[in-house]
Amino acid sequence: MQADGQGWLYVPQGLEDGPLPTHYEPHESPFDNPLYSQRANPARQQNEDLPEDPYNPPGSDEYPYVVTTYRLTEHHTAGGMSRFVPYLSELQPQMFVEVHPDLARERNLKHADWATIVTARSAIEARVLVTDRVRPLRMNGREVHQVGLPYHWGSRGLTTGGAANDLEHMALYPNVHIQEVKALTCDIRPGRRPRGRALVDFVTGKRERAEKS
Amino acid sequence: MSALSEAWPDTYGDEAKPRMGFFTDTSICIGCKACEVACKEWNLIPEDGLVWTGESYDNTSELGANSWRHVAFIEQRKPLKVDGNGDTAELDVEPLRWLMSSDVCKHCTHAGCLDVCPTGALFRTEFGTVVVQEDVCNGCGYCVPACPFGVLDKRHLPTRPEDAPLELPLLGKQEDGRVWKCTLCYDRLKGGHEPACAKACPTDSIQFGELDELRERADKRLEKLQAENWNGAQLYGRDPDDGVGGFGAFFLLLDEPEVYGLPPDPVVPTKNLSEMWINTAVAAAATLVGAALAFIGGRG
Repeated sequence: MQADGQGWLYVPQGLEDGPLPTHYEPHESPFDNPLYSQRANPARQQNEDLPEDPYNPPGSDEYPYVVTTYRLTEHHTAGGMSRFVPYLSELQPQMFVEVHPDLARERNLKHADWATIVTARSAIEARVLVTDRVRPLRMNGREVHQVGLPYHWGSRGLTTGGAANDLEHMALYPNVHIQEVKALTCDIRPGRRPRGRALVDFVTGKRERAEKS
Repeated sequence: MSALSEAWPDTYGDEAKPRMGFFTDTSICIGCKACEVACKEWNLIPEDGLVWTGESYDNTSELGANSWRHVAFIEQRKPLKVDGNGDTAELDVEPLRWLMSSDVCKHCTHAGCLDVCPTGALFRTEFGTVVVQEDVCNGCGYCVPACPFGVLDKRHLPTRPEDAPLELPLLGKQEDGRVWKCTLCYDRLKGGHEPACAKACPTDSIQFGELDELRERADKRLEKLQAENWNGAQLYGRDPDDGVGGFGAFFLLLDEPEVYGLPPDPVVPTKNLSEMWINTAVAAAATLVGAALAFIGGRG
């Protein structure tokens, strides 16, 4: 959007990655860029020197699924306001994860049971909602399952639960400096997440195995 | 039908207003639940449990004393549209549709709840709606099984203070097992406003107005959807000749009523009342005659 009120396709100056729009795969995408050999946006900002913010190695078997985050109509942003309102909390009272029936079968996830979603950063737990709505991605002859997460929960309020933002990494879009919260990779396991020291061991163990392979 | 229902709306004389109602067009419901929240805000209904159900996005589950609007979410492996032969019209390999429908008290023409209420707490308003007066209701609960839709429900708040939901500032006294249901926002109607749910609905899925006009509008909408081959489009509760004499709040559904948890052929239970009394009288007479015969027979 420009000062004249119009959106421009050709932007001669001001953009870090202009002048024309194009397609890049997300930082952790399990697919190559179908347009050309440059996979992800070369101008993206990365925190190479932040040990607490590691990236999943692209294509790693340890994190075979795509995870995306989204909103529910009942809550606002990370829930800091809406989770304290009883009329909104009762309508969406718990963190859940949406998976396709095929993925549920593959990972032995049971509807309404708990599941643990893990990336190189952290692991969170959520109730399982098995649904046809979250369809697998079919690209380049491969099928990759998606894991859907609302991002409205946290540790305080009338309802508490796993914070999807704990799973995010900090590869930022160059112009608006927003992290890629809509496209990451993860693994999902049945059951609740480990607690305390065991959680750290679980997350680092998985990350180390991913980096070795 | 019972005398109470027959008398309406003549009892209001000159004060009678055109009958008001809802037409809930579920084909444009987006499942935002704004109706549920607006209803609770306006009517000061308590929060009733932070329970995740796993039934799609529906965590309300049913209408009750503390839920006067309930948005049902139904996920189906069915196409949204069909062609004339009933086959899939779209080139959709895996058909999928997500039905959403905001349910509410039907404000029946022949209302079972109204017929059985012994205190007069339930009454027919000048707008043709059915309302419970909370200062008259004694919590007897007769109306609960008299509703063919399961709308009427007694409010039970926790007796232990530690279980109580957050206090609502305007609820002065502890609620006590009385019956609560949709009033079609009687107070707002008195002031010339539309009910809170209809006001909040962002897509006009919930339409409020004079019932006759709503029925016309619904007929046109159904015609349009059927011409566009929408799968299963049908009106529910529009027919004044059904078991409850037509709903004051009726629906356009995209599948059979059962799919939404609604009874396919609701009948007001008091419909059979006179027949039941006649049967009872016949049985009583037969018992008396039988007993008398037994004595006569004993002498012989």
